[in-house]
Amino acid sequence: MKLIERRVSPADSPLAITTAMVVAALAAMLITSLLFTLYQANPLQAYFALFHEPFASWRGFGYTLVRTAPLTLIALGTIVSWRSGFGYLGFEGCFVIGAAATSWLALSTTFSFWTFLPLALLLSFAAGAAWAGVVALIRARFGGNEVLISLMMNYVAILIVQYLVSGPMRAPGGVPETALLPRATWLPFILPGTRAHAGILLALCAALLVWVLLRKTRIGYELIVSGLSPLAARFGGINVGAQLVFAAFCAGGLGAWAGTVEVLGEQHRLMDGISGGVGFTGIIVALLARLNPLAVIPAAVLYGGMTVGANAMQRRAGIPSSITFILQSLIVLMVLASDIFRRYRVKLT
Amino acid sequence: MPAFEMRKIVKRFPGVVANRDVDLTIEAGAIHALLGENGAGKSTLMQILYGFHSMDSGSILIDGKPVEIASPKDAIALGIGMVHQEFMLVRRFSVVENTVLGLKGKLDLRQASRRLRALSEQHHLAIDPAALVQHLPIGVQQRVEILKLLYRDARLLILDEPTAVLTTHEKDQLFTVLRGLRDQGRSIVIVTHKLQEILDVADRVTVMRDGKVVGAVSTQQTTEQELARLMVGRDVNLRAVKVPVERGAAVLRIAGLHVRDEAGQEKVRGVTLDVHAGEIVGIAGVDGNGQSQLAEAIMRLRPADKGSIFLRDHEVTRLTVAQHRALGLSYVPADRRHVGAVTEMSIADNAILGSQRKHTKGPFLDTRKIREHAEKLIARFGVRATSIATKAGKLSGGNLQKLILGREILEDAAAMVVEQPTRGLDVGAIESVWAELLGQRERGKAILLISAELEELMNLADRIAVMFEGRIVGILNAANITAEKLGLMISGLSEES
Repeated sequence: MKLIERRVSPADSPLAITTAMVVAALAAMLITSLLFTLYQANPLQAYFALFHEPFASWRGFGYTLVRTAPLTLIALGTIVSWRSGFGYLGFEGCFVIGAAATSWLALSTTFSFWTFLPLALLLSFAAGAAWAGVVALIRARFGGNEVLISLMMNYVAILIVQYLVSGPMRAPGGVPETALLPRATWLPFILPGTRAHAGILLALCAALLVWVLLRKTRIGYELIVSGLSPLAARFGGINVGAQLVFAAFCAGGLGAWAGTVEVLGEQHRLMDGISGGVGFTGIIVALLARLNPLAVIPAAVLYGGMTVGANAMQRRAGIPSSITFILQSLIVLMVLASDIFRRYRVKLT
Repeated sequence: MPAFEMRKIVKRFPGVVANRDVDLTIEAGAIHALLGENGAGKSTLMQILYGFHSMDSGSILIDGKPVEIASPKDAIALGIGMVHQEFMLVRRFSVVENTVLGLKGKLDLRQASRRLRALSEQHHLAIDPAALVQHLPIGVQQRVEILKLLYRDARLLILDEPTAVLTTHEKDQLFTVLRGLRDQGRSIVIVTHKLQEILDVADRVTVMRDGKVVGAVSTQQTTEQELARLMVGRDVNLRAVKVPVERGAAVLRIAGLHVRDEAGQEKVRGVTLDVHAGEIVGIAGVDGNGQSQLAEAIMRLRPADKGSIFLRDHEVTRLTVAQHRALGLSYVPADRRHVGAVTEMSIADNAILGSQRKHTKGPFLDTRKIREHAEKLIARFGVRATSIATKAGKLSGGNLQKLILGREILEDAAAMVVEQPTRGLDVGAIESVWAELLGQRERGKAILLISAELEELMNLADRIAVMFEGRIVGILNAANITAEKLGLMISGLSEES
């Protein structure tokens, strides 16, 4: 009798899925421990440093929330677009476009906060939606490859912002960046003694909205059918092209909101390199959450926290913070790979 | 002494016993049919014989001597060859290149060609070894597969569902070839669930059900009825009872329709056809003669080049799929797993595909209504499933088809287009699909039934339109038609004058 045998269908109870994910994350940490030993560091101490600051210190937790907000929004954008079968990867672009639109509005108007914020969200969403919508139109109308086009458009967006901050929107001074945005446009800080700002609340609302959209509405149903099987969707009277464009609008808008939140909550000005790769990390968060809009929140907190902890780890244990990125990537790899274990069972008898 | 013998074969898959104590005896110079419903274990048994699967217990004997078959390579060395349902041919290679593919030894295409030519003549296969496979019709490709086995000098040829893709004419040719091989002393196993063919060509038949052998008889001592009963385990009504229904007004009218496929080839060339209320109009034809494109164009899943389609008083030629559905047209597509259903979604989600707009409260899905609809659907149409949350992909072919057909019937549309409704289904499921379609006819619906199964058309349809190369070459009254005449017409050999 074989010790390990193949299941007819993979075990798909919540317990099996959670166990597989936790084991996968632990395996990733185990592998990363080997890297720690290269630096003569004690892995336990290193992990303590990595997780203590972001999750066990008040100030650090504030930073964790700051990092979580844009990650969540981008992950949500990824979910909406990927669920509809639109393999969009242009969130770096949406992020900076949204940040630029928000900064422009903040610098060129003098609205009160409660007038400004809705306008900024609207403008930013529209800008991001247009940015991603172009790609969707190309795909729906001419069958273009959205993966390549959206990736390339990231560079276009980044260069546009580079031009803006070194040209039309540049503040006097040595660094290519805009002037500090008026205080009246800043998002309020929500936890005393920390830099945590109201952006996290926006992210939480967005997660709930996306969950409702995908799970509870007819549009969400049509969107998911389009993503799973375009042929069946057309058979069911669904306009697949329109679903694609709609999903791209939402994805682009959510991506742009990530930029808005970063500008109004944390940086308070537009500068080159403002995204810091969050447009890609957000996609990883969505994958880790298995494209579930609610699971995105803990996944984003984990990843946001690890980004914060990376610096503490570098200070305290002398380990390069880039190892954190290796760990983050390994976790996703392991979690995605862990599916294969659910296809087998161990027979001990 | 039998040439090939399988004794007490047991094969377990996790959770299922695919074969339990199966005995199979194949004589030299005989055509042996292996009959059973989908999932009865006949494919597993043949895959064990061909070395694809290992058996848990049991033995295989050739000429009375036990043999080990661990892989297809062993099977081929022992003279066992298999023609799969999906042909294993490289389309861009010639016949001779396909034949030598995988063989060891010096590559001498010219010598191989000579041998193939000789074999082809000897067995009346009419195959040119230099022809590219992609240029050959399906029936000839199948003969290439047989020729490949003969080149390897197979003594036992296993054919899995060999007639599923053939025209009547091609089927007759295949049977002639098989009889010729039998007369030379080779053994042939055909795996099938078509009863008539077994009686036509096989000498003996072994019937399997639920992984067990439930009967092994000579074809001369059995009847279609008895085989069906053995296979299903109860009496089966193979003749549909059609009550007279008064024909109503024309509901679906198609006039001068031209449709192209993805490659831009004109597949439907001027089809004109009316379907009346209370009538089933059958479209007979071999796959690929434009029937699929016709069905898709009626539903507007594919644009029409020229011509028009009317649904009652509305011209619908250029309306969207959703508008077609709203005006009273429903469609059961041939491809159940990719078009008719979303296999990754639940039965409940699939139950509202196409009618999702009717199951809402404002912008939200009405969960309660959906649940009631899905439960009604599986109860009314006998879909065997543990719950409506089960993924549709986990359903068997027959149950999935009942789900799709039931969903389209519950739409209560005035007209239905039904494409290959029983393809790949077993007798029990076919019986219930037929009954549902006839029920719709009695309720005064107009049904366009596209099928490659002549028996199905002759049982269900009131009129049969024969489609050949994109045209309707004749419309016949089903009451006075013979299978032979229909068979000739779908092969393009005879036209109704």
